[in-house]
Amino acid sequence: MAQIQARPIEAAQTIQRERPTIRWWQLIVLIFLIIFTITSIGPLILTIISSFKTEHDVLAFPPTLWPNPLILSNYTTILSNPLFLRWMLNAFIYAVGAMVLNVIFSAMAGYALGRMRFPGRNFIFLLTLGVMMIPSAIYLIPKFLVVNSLHLTNTYFALILPAMAQPFSVFIMVQFMKGLPKELEESAFIDGASRLRTFFQIILPQVRPALTAVAIITFQGAWNDFQWPLVALGTQDMYTLPLGLFFFKSEHFTQYALLLAASMFNTIPILILFFIFQRYFIEGAVSSGVKG
Amino acid sequence: MATQPVGQSVSSAPALTTEKSRRPAQRGSGRSRERAEAIAAYLFLLPYLVVLAVFLVFVSLFGLGLSFFRVDLGFTGPVFIGLRNYTFIFNQLSNVSLSDFWTSMINIVKFTFFVVIGQTILALAMALVLQAIVRARGIFRTVFYVPAVTSSVATALIFLWLYNPDGIINYILSLVHINGPDWLNNVFWALPALMLLNIWTTAASFMIYFLAALQDLPRELIEASEVDGANRFQTFWYITVPLLRPTIFLVVALGTIGAFQMFDQAKFMTNGQPLNSTLTPMLEIYNAGFSDGRFGLAAAMSVILFIVIFIVTIIQRRFIDIDTSR
Repeated sequence: MAQIQARPIEAAQTIQRERPTIRWWQLIVLIFLIIFTITSIGPLILTIISSFKTEHDVLAFPPTLWPNPLILSNYTTILSNPLFLRWMLNAFIYAVGAMVLNVIFSAMAGYALGRMRFPGRNFIFLLTLGVMMIPSAIYLIPKFLVVNSLHLTNTYFALILPAMAQPFSVFIMVQFMKGLPKELEESAFIDGASRLRTFFQIILPQVRPALTAVAIITFQGAWNDFQWPLVALGTQDMYTLPLGLFFFKSEHFTQYALLLAASMFNTIPILILFFIFQRYFIEGAVSSGVKG
Repeated sequence: MATQPVGQSVSSAPALTTEKSRRPAQRGSGRSRERAEAIAAYLFLLPYLVVLAVFLVFVSLFGLGLSFFRVDLGFTGPVFIGLRNYTFIFNQLSNVSLSDFWTSMINIVKFTFFVVIGQTILALAMALVLQAIVRARGIFRTVFYVPAVTSSVATALIFLWLYNPDGIINYILSLVHINGPDWLNNVFWALPALMLLNIWTTAASFMIYFLAALQDLPRELIEASEVDGANRFQTFWYITVPLLRPTIFLVVALGTIGAFQMFDQAKFMTNGQPLNSTLTPMLEIYNAGFSDGRFGLAAAMSVILFIVIFIVTIIQRRFIDIDTSR
């Protein structure tokens, strides 16, 4: 009994003693938490709200918070522009094409490099690490000239071919594949399964988190890509959405309400994906960078 | 073939009963199995090897080679001119202010310096705040990460509006009686405005590295220092920061490589203006190639930028990572 009674008192005492130091510390954390929350999502929330404002209100000084009147015409104007829908479609084709191919091809490469023994394996793996460290600055001009000499500029191939098997993704896949137990394929081979079937039916389901992470980083990279489409594409009907937005911007230079609404078409799809798959976004980001 | 004994002892049991015909082939000579495995491996690697060979290895070497040529698409074939692209660029060093390329290099050094410091500190601060809260950490992690998933083009559009002379940023400044400039049209403020935007988007992604590293820190060490009477700041400075050194190097190195190649915002928001104050090397390379059609010169600029990035990264490794190698 004595012990049971003593405990709450002791606990209460320690809480009292620690309270003052914890308080100022917690206050600082709280202040920063609020600041970072505002700076992180504030601009985006303001943009969403302001995309429903009139041109006049969006530049009002001092700024108004709620749209008054609330209008949809920014969105209807954009959606009635057939080019805009085409840009979204192009961006979608680029992103999905790159995503699907890169997931399959980098998983295949990761399987070979991570689980098979063959001459040249170490060389290819080291080469992969090497090219990951080369700044892409050196590629821009020669990559364009290569695509140009293949007569692929202004096509989907120009966008998708270079992105269809990326060293970062291969690296992630190798790391995941290496972690799987050996018995996995061996039992499959005994049952007479071919390598290809083993790969698709036994191995791939085991590395689903890595596949998802690679899929998402690739989609995000292609969907948001600006530099390569700017270089590789020529005519307006082939533009992807980020590139389209660039020309949309020069056409409607000071029409901020319209531009903000336009930016939403680029942002919202990726945000939805992010909220659904956020674990994979973050895992993918970490594993692609932690390479030592 | 270290796996062979294990594999065979497992495989012999069912093979006895069912597929007798397979046994000789499987046991057969180890050589043919090795060869079969090598062929299979290269078939699996084929698509990746094509991309690696063409779009990464060949293209880098091609870029290097290109810098020794004069290339103007369409008119004449490439002409070998030795080091003349390089001498042309380095001769401009005699009057840096008239040279677009060297102006862009000076801009990017300033830009990288402030952006890397800003993004590293901000990323670490965000990670520490997340580490310090107990409840709703996942939700705030998601919230803090939002700038990292939004595209550079969408954020550029948003910040065009925020930076506009009558925009929200100048409104907030006016609340504390500061007369904000016309950010993106001001020779002095345009580059800092892009720095701020870049810090905002990149800090969120680098936060994740620190968060992962903080979670891997040995708890005992931090608790021990607290038991020894160190306050939170001392614990942070003498225990946490030294342990985070490898991560700090990683973030600084990746941040530097990224910042040196800044292109999207400079092209999208200011196009290098006003008066070349936001011209970056990547933008100048783009202009030299695609506006002036001087692809050889642009390739030479790329090589110089590449070498600068390489040297800076090595210097950083010397300074930051030195303690971990001991």
